[in-house]
This record gives sequence, C-alpha cells and structure tokens, in this order.
Amino acid sequence: MKTNESTRERTNGSPTVTNGRPSFAALTPRARDLAGRLPAALRAPGLPLAFPFAVLGLVADLFRDWWGRQTGYVRWAIYGLLIVGALLLPSEQVGGFMSPYSDWAQLLFFPIGGYILLAIGLNVVVGQAGLLDLGYVAFFAIGGYTMAVFGTKFGWSFWEILVLGVLLSALSGVILGAPTLRLRGDYLAIVTLGFGEIIRIAARNTDYIGGPNGISGIPHPPTLSEWTVPESEPFTTLGLAGIAPLKYGALDGRPYYYLMLAAIVVTIIFVKRLESSRVGRAWASIREDEDAAELMGVPTFKFKLAAFAIGAAIGGAAGVIYGSQATSIIPRNYEFIISATILAAVVLGGSGNLPGVMLGAFLVAWIPERIRGLQEYRILVFGGVLVLLMIFRPEGLLPSRRRKAELAEGTGGMGSLGAEVGGPTTHAAAEVGK
Amino acid sequence: MLLEINDIHVHYGKIAALKGISLEVDEGEIVTLIGANGAGKTTTLKTISGLRPLSAGRITFDGKDISRLAGHKRVLAGIGQSPEGRGIFPGMSVADNLHMGAYARKGDLSKELAEVYELFPRLAERKGQAGGTMSGGEQQMLAIGRALMAKPKVLLLDEPSMGLAPMLVQQIFSIIEKINERGTTVLLVEQNAQQALQIAHRAYVIETGRIVKSAAAVDLLDDPEVRAAYLGGDLGEPESIAADEPAATADGPAKD
Ligand SMILES: Nc1ncnc2c1ncn2[C@@H]1O[C@H](COP(=O)(O)OP(=O)(O)O)[C@@H](O)[C@H]1O
Ligand SMILES: [Mg+2]
Repeated sequence: MKTNESTRERTNGSPTVTNGRPSFAALTPRARDLAGRLPAALRAPGLPLAFPFAVLGLVADLFRDWWGRQTGYVRWAIYGLLIVGALLLPSEQVGGFMSPYSDWAQLLFFPIGGYILLAIGLNVVVGQAGLLDLGYVAFFAIGGYTMAVFGTKFGWSFWEILVLGVLLSALSGVILGAPTLRLRGDYLAIVTLGFGEIIRIAARNTDYIGGPNGISGIPHPPTLSEWTVPESEPFTTLGLAGIAPLKYGALDGRPYYYLMLAAIVVTIIFVKRLESSRVGRAWASIREDEDAAELMGVPTFKFKLAAFAIGAAIGGAAGVIYGSQATSIIPRNYEFIISATILAAVVLGGSGNLPGVMLGAFLVAWIPERIRGLQEYRILVFGGVLVLLMIFRPEGLLPSRRRKAELAEGTGGMGSLGAEVGGPTTHAAAEVGK
Repeated sequence: MLLEINDIHVHYGKIAALKGISLEVDEGEIVTLIGANGAGKTTTLKTISGLRPLSAGRITFDGKDISRLAGHKRVLAGIGQSPEGRGIFPGMSVADNLHMGAYARKGDLSKELAEVYELFPRLAERKGQAGGTMSGGEQQMLAIGRALMAKPKVLLLDEPSMGLAPMLVQQIFSIIEKINERGTTVLLVEQNAQQALQIAHRAYVIETGRIVKSAAAVDLLDDPEVRAAYLGGDLGEPESIAADEPAATADGPAKD
C-alpha cells in the first residue's frame, strides 16, 4: 500500500517525526531552531514569535501527508468544497469580519482576486522556471490598455478583447524575452524592471491612449444572464440573496468577483497541467541548474521564453478583467509597486507552490485593507509583518518540499560538496519526489 | 575520428581562455586532458557540449561539423557530459535526475535505467532521495549515471575525482573503465593526473589555454616534466602548480 510506504519512509531521519507522524512534542525544538537563526539581540523574544510559524509548518506538513494519501474522489470533493467556499465568499457576513473598512465585494475582486491571478502568472516565471521578473506589471498594463483601447475606440466586446489581450501580452512577453533571456539572474531582473517602467512611461506620453489621464468610459462585459439568486433560504442567511452573478453593471462588484474566480480556476487547471508535463519538468531543471538542463537536451532558451509568454498571458488576462470593471484606467495604476507586491506575494507564500502563492497574494492584498483602521501606520505594520515572515519562514509560508531541498542546497555553498545531512530542513528535503 | 577539435579559441569577454586547442578522440578510447587549475579544461568541455560559443576553430563529431549546433541538440547527436561540480538537480529525486538524463530521448528507458543501477548499486538504494542531499561521491555517481541515460557515443567527464576520498576515487575510476569497456568513448578531464593516466589510452596536457603535450598515457606517466608538474614528482617543488596538487588528492568534505 502507498500509505504504508510513505509513512515508513518518512520515519527515516526526520527529528520532527515519531512513529511516522509529526508530533507536537517536536514543536519546541523546531521553534528554537528557527529562533536560533536570529541575531542575538532578537533571540529572547524570538522564541515565542517563532512558535506560530513552527505550528504553521507542522500543520502544512500534516496536511500534505494526508493529501498524499487521499484517493482521486476525496481530492475532487475537496476541490469542489473549495470552489463552493469561494462562491460563498461575497456574503455580507464574511465581509463584516474580513473588511470592516471597505466594500468587501469590491475588495474581493481587486486587489484580492486580481493579485491572486497575477501571482499565479508570476509564479510560472519565478516559481517554476526560476526567472526573476521585476517588471511583471507591464503585462497587467498591456491587458488593461487592450481592454480600454479596443473597448472604447473599436467597440469590441469584452470576450473578444480578453482573447486579444491574452495574445498581445503573450507576444510582448516574447518580444521582451527574446533578446533578454540570454541574461542571467540580476541582469534579467534589471532589464525586466526597465521594461515595466518603459510600458508605463510610454503610456503616459502617448496621446492616442490619453497620456497621463488614461482612458475612461471602458465598457463593462455584456450581460450573460439576468438570473438572480432567489430571495429565500438558504441564500438570505448566507447573505447572497439578490445577486445577479452574470450581469455586469457599475454598482455591484460581486459579478466581477465571480468572473475573476472563473479566470483563476481555469488558470489553475492550465498551470497545474503544465507543471506535471514535460514542460514542467524542463522548467524545474532550468530553475535548479540551467547548464545541466541544457546538457540533458532541454532547449533551455525556448522553455524560458515559453515561461515568459505564459506568465505574460496570465498577467494580460488579469489586466483585461480589471480594466472592464474599473471603467477608467490611468498610467499611475501600473507603477513598479505592483510588480514588487506580486513578487512579495509569490516569495512570501512559497515560490513554486500554488496554494502557497495564492495564500501569499491573499495576505498581501488583504492585510493592508484589514488594518485600514490604523490609518497612516498601516503600511508600516504591513512592512513589519512581511519582515517577520521572511525572518521566520524564509522559504515562504507554504513552500513546496522540493523548494526546501533547493534552498538547502543553495545555502550549502559550492554545489553541495559532501552535502552532509543537517537540520530539519534537509531532512524534510530527503523526502522529495514521493 | 569520433570527435575532432580543431584549433578552437574561446573567450570570456575579452579574456582568451582557450588559445587554439586541437585534440582528437577516437571511437572506443579513453582520452584524458590533464592540467592545473584554470588551464582551460572545463572551458574545453563546455565548448564541446555547446555551453560556450567558440570564437574560432571547428568541432567535428561523428563526421559532422557541430561548431554552431545548439547545446541541447548535441545531446541527441551523442555527446553526454557529467559537468564540473556535478550539476545534480538538488530538488529532484535520484530517479527523477536519471529520467532528466533521458529527456531528449523517446521510448522505453527501462534497459538504460537497469544498466545504471547495475553500475551504481548505491543509486538503486537511494532512488527516492533528493539529489541535493546525497554525499559528494553519490552525486558523482548520479551525474555519470544521468549522462549515460542519453546513451551517448562519447562521455565527457569533468573532474569526477574532485573532492572525493581516495577510496571513492578508485571506485569511480574503475567504473569509468567499465563504462568504456562496454563501448562508450570517454574524454576525461582531470587534475588528478596519476589516476587519470592509469586508465587512459592517450593523454593531452593543457597549460593556460594551449595543449603543450600529447602522447600515450603510459609515456606521460614516465615523462619527467609531467611527473614534476602533475604527479607531485621527484624533481623537487615546481612553481605554481605544486600548490594545486594536494587539493586534487585531498579528502574533501565528501565522505562515503
Ligand atoms: N565564467 C567565467 N568568466 C570569466 N573567466 C572565466 C570563466 N570561467 C573560466 N574563466 C577563466 O578561463 C580560464 C580557464 O578556466 P577553466 O576552463 O575553468 O579551467 P580549469 O577547468 O582547467 O580549471 C581561467 O583563467 C578562468 O579564470
Ligand atoms: Mg575545471
């Protein structure tokens, strides 16, 4: 049985595991180990602070093991539950807690939904292919401007523009990537950073697309159906009664949230399928050792370009959807801070691991809104939270096991000469590939 | 000739790393390229496998000019390499690393897998372990096994003894001989000249980007200059190179 095998193998080596199961008794050493990485002055308060992260890591590990043991039916049931949960999210009751200071439905659509879609796209580039892109906002902008220009000047419908926007941003990804993907690491980061700025500044200086004033009067998507959620139980209790989820107007943010949700689900399926295909294996090899990948016969340049184009296409889709709701866009919507925030979401959540990346995007979008009551201190608090997270979980909130192994190797200096098995992170790494 | 390198020049920016290297490898041979640190051995191998472009010269493989062929296409042509520092994919399991080795190939892999596991029983025991957590010796075995998965005509090995304990070096070298006896041509780059010359048929000596000697391996073992420079020989302390020699045989952090 698969179950037995995986529990047996887990017992090899990992100190956080007893009888094949992580135990809570192991938490304190784990927290101490985390705190031990802090500078001395921080260490005393570090132990209690490290504790929640150790708990999170353990829960994530437990869940991952449990998930690995489930059959297809159970997994599908859970996917189904997650989607139902997402459908219920716009409920007023949820909003009351999640967003006391702003319109919850609006917030769910953007930034929360938008950031999640963008983070999934950037994760293809950063998390899967291992390319550092600091100008990802450019593709979001290209999608937005495609929507605005073709909607206001040519009268195209949203769905046509969605297709066009995806194609145009993928094309711009190829145009950016073709000359630059021969660069590595820092150089690529700088060139992409420049590209993000060029797109924004070019938009500001182009009169045809409104210069600094941008474009307004962008049409909403056409109504797909007038159907309305009935004003009866259970919908009244759930706080969803009266929504017309497929009718896109100016007032209600919820139909746009459902549109974004659909885009996210489709994208997840697409990206997951890629990840487990030959393409995904090629990306993983490039991320882990580009020269070795080429030596294995992987056309590295072609696959890096593909990662860029696919990431760009997803960013473009997010841009089109955002533009169709926003009614007007200006170049200032597309500043570098968006690229930085989405990258923070990916790294914070656990680069390369889709649930982690989505969690990261959610937190990065939601925390600043949730603490709006702190007024001018909120960005300071937000920054503090990010710093804490990176101190205690440098590999991200929900890293992939594989990424842990890569990081362990990275810290091992030259290659991993000797690769002595050390702390708990390296032990966990030994279980990759099951 | 299976592999023919004709007067190649390779630059890093403006710096010339190879200043006209020529060498030949015939089918079935073990040829070794020995030289001190920084002489240009790795650059030579990278140029053969297509990771570095050449600024002048020509590389012919199996009768075809491959000088401008992309690196990933040279794998299909029949060039396999175990790179310097081993280049293991740290997050992939041993089995996945081996499968990556056959990425360019289609069809059934079970025969090659079985052969690799037979050559390196250690890898068979560790199929599920992440490459990055293997010891240095195991990683070297994995790097060689992975290169074999593509069924190369010529196997390029870049310092397989680097950082390994002497016992393990012996073992790796005898496996290289075995691979050769089974029909794979080998081009072996080494600082550990003593060991390399013992298993090779022919040898080239490289110094600062130029070939300074080429002869049958047994002859070089007895060559006084080579003994002095690369074999920690009996002519006292030769300049510069002596400093590198202990590193080549030292027991690195990798243990087995
Ligand atoms: N990436 C690089 N950039 C610049 N110079 C390099 C690079 N790699 C190697 N070199 C130089 O090329 C020369 C040959 O290096 P290399 O082929 O690695 O030697 P070896 O493998 O014999 O130790 C050395 O002088 C080295 O400094
Ligand atoms: Mg070298």
